[in-house]
Amino acid sequence: MVFANRRATVCFIALTLLGFLFVYLTLSAGSVDVRWSDLGWRRVPYDNMQQQIFWEIRFPRMIAALLSGVALAVSGLSLQTLFKNPLAGPFVLGISSGASFGVALSLLAGFSFGHLGVLGSASVGALVVTMVVMWVSARFEQSSVLLLVGLLIGYFIDALISLLIANSDAEALRVYVSWGMGSFGRLTFDGVLMFAVAVFMGLALIVLSVKYLNAARLGDEFARGVGLNVKRGRTLVLLGASILAAASTAYCGPVAFVGIAVPHLAYKLFKTSNHRVLLPGASLCGMVLCLAASLFGTVPLNAVLSLVGVPVIMWVVIRGKKGY
Amino acid sequence: MSILLQSKELEFGYGKRFAAPMNFELQAGEVVALMGRNGSGKSTLLKTLSGKIPALGGSVEIGNQSLNTFPATELAKNIAYISISRAAPERMTVAEFVGLGRMPYSNFFDGRTKEDLRIVNDALALLQLESFADRNVCELSDGERSRVYLAQAVAQQVKILLLDEPNAFLDIPWSHQLFKTLCQLASDRGMGIIVSTHSMEYASKYCNRVMVVDCESVPCGSWLEAEQKGWLEWTK
Repeated sequence: MVFANRRATVCFIALTLLGFLFVYLTLSAGSVDVRWSDLGWRRVPYDNMQQQIFWEIRFPRMIAALLSGVALAVSGLSLQTLFKNPLAGPFVLGISSGASFGVALSLLAGFSFGHLGVLGSASVGALVVTMVVMWVSARFEQSSVLLLVGLLIGYFIDALISLLIANSDAEALRVYVSWGMGSFGRLTFDGVLMFAVAVFMGLALIVLSVKYLNAARLGDEFARGVGLNVKRGRTLVLLGASILAAASTAYCGPVAFVGIAVPHLAYKLFKTSNHRVLLPGASLCGMVLCLAASLFGTVPLNAVLSLVGVPVIMWVVIRGKKGY
Repeated sequence: MSILLQSKELEFGYGKRFAAPMNFELQAGEVVALMGRNGSGKSTLLKTLSGKIPALGGSVEIGNQSLNTFPATELAKNIAYISISRAAPERMTVAEFVGLGRMPYSNFFDGRTKEDLRIVNDALALLQLESFADRNVCELSDGERSRVYLAQAVAQQVKILLLDEPNAFLDIPWSHQLFKTLCQLASDRGMGIIVSTHSMEYASKYCNRVMVVDCESVPCGSWLEAEQKGWLEWTK
C-alpha cells in the first residue's frame, strides 16, 4: 500500500499553500480596504467600520466557505466509498434535500428544534432521509436502486416544500428563497462556533470509521473477512456524512457539486484509495474550491460551483471505469 | 501434526442442508481439494467453515473454540476465505489491495508499520506481483487478479486458507504455479488449505486429501481412497 509518497506530500503542501492564499484573498477582497494592523481582536462595539466589516462579514464568510468545503467534500467522499458509486453524494442520495426540508419547515412553517433552530431542523431532516437510505441500502445490493431512491426522495421533498411555500407569507418566502440560492455570506459571527462544532462532530464520526472506509469498496463480506464491524462502520459513516451535509446546508443553503465533484479531484490528485490520505486531501480540495468560489461575490455561488462541477462530472462519466 | 480447523456434526446450507452432518479435521501443513458438482454446495461449505454464514447445525471450531465465539479481528487473523468471483475494486492499486490484508493487525486509524510493509512486499514477491504493485486491480486480467487475491490472504498471515475455485480463470502454467504455491505455503508456514476445484489433475497431483460434496455426505480421504470407494464416480 502506498502509505506516504512524494506525490501526496507535494499535493498536501500545494493545497495548504493555496488554502492560505485564498483565506487571505477572501478576508481582504471587497470594496472597503482593510488594514491588518488596525484590526486587532474582535471587540464589540467596534472602533471603526473596517473592523465591523472584517469581523461581521468577511471572517464569517471565509469560515463558511472553509467549513462548508471540508464538510461537503468529506461527506461526498465517504458516501461514494460506502455505496461503491462514483456518483453518490449528499445531494444525489437526497440527504441534502432532507436538510433543505428541515430548513423549510423551520423558515416557512415556524417549526424549530429548541436552541439549535435551523441547524437542528436541517439535521433532523438529513437524518430522516439517511435512515431511509440506510434501510434501502440494507435491502438492495445495486447502488443504482439507491441512487434512484435518492432522486425520488428529492422529488418528494420538493413537492412537500412546494406545499409549504404555497401556504407561507411573503416575508418567510423571501428568507427561504434567499437561503435556497446558497451563499457563504449568510453565516454570522455568532453562528461560527455552532457551525464549527457540527462539522467537527461529523468529521470525528468519519475519522473514527477510516478503517472501515478503506475496506468498504470491496463489500461488506470482505470487510468482515478482515475483522471489521460492518454495522458500526456503516452507521458511523452515514451519521457523520449526514451531519456534515446538514450543517453545510443549514448555514450556507444548498451548495451544489462540491460533494460529488471534489472526491474525484482528490482521487485524481493523490492517486490512492487510502482514506488516511484521501480524507484530508478531499478536505483541502473542498476548502480551496469553496474559498475560490467565495471570491466571486456578485455571481451566485451555485453558478460558480456548477461551472467547475459539471466538467468534472462529465469527465468522470466519459472516463468510465478507467481507474483513477 | 496439529489440528487447525475442526467441524463437528456440521450441517450447512441456506435453510435446507446440502448433505448429512459432517465431521472433518484440517491438519496444519496439508492441502485438501474440495470437489463436487456445480450447485452441490462447495462454496456454501467453505463460507460456513470460514464463519461467513452460520451453520444449520453442529459447529466449526479452531483450537476447540467455536468460530461463533471468536472476536471478528481474531477470526480474521486465523482464517481467510477467497472467492475469485469477487468484483475488482476500482481506483485501488495492487499494493494497496494486498496491504488490506494487514487490517486485522493495524491500529484504530489503520496505520501501517515497517513490518507490515515488509510482509506485504513478501506476499507480492511470493506471487510474483512486484511488477504489478502500482497497477490498478481493475485493469488486471482475471488470472492476474486471482494471484492478487491470494497475495492479500498471504499478507493476512492466516493459518487457515479457504479458496473458492482459485484456478477458474488461470491458464495451465499459472494453475500449476498456483497449486505449487499452495503446497509451499502449507509446508513452509504450516498452513491448512482447502481449495475447491473442478480439476482432477491438480487435485490428485498437488493435494494431500480430497473432500467430495454430494447429496448424501461429505467424505474426505486420500486420492487412492476416493477412487477405491467411488467418491468420484460422478465425474465419469
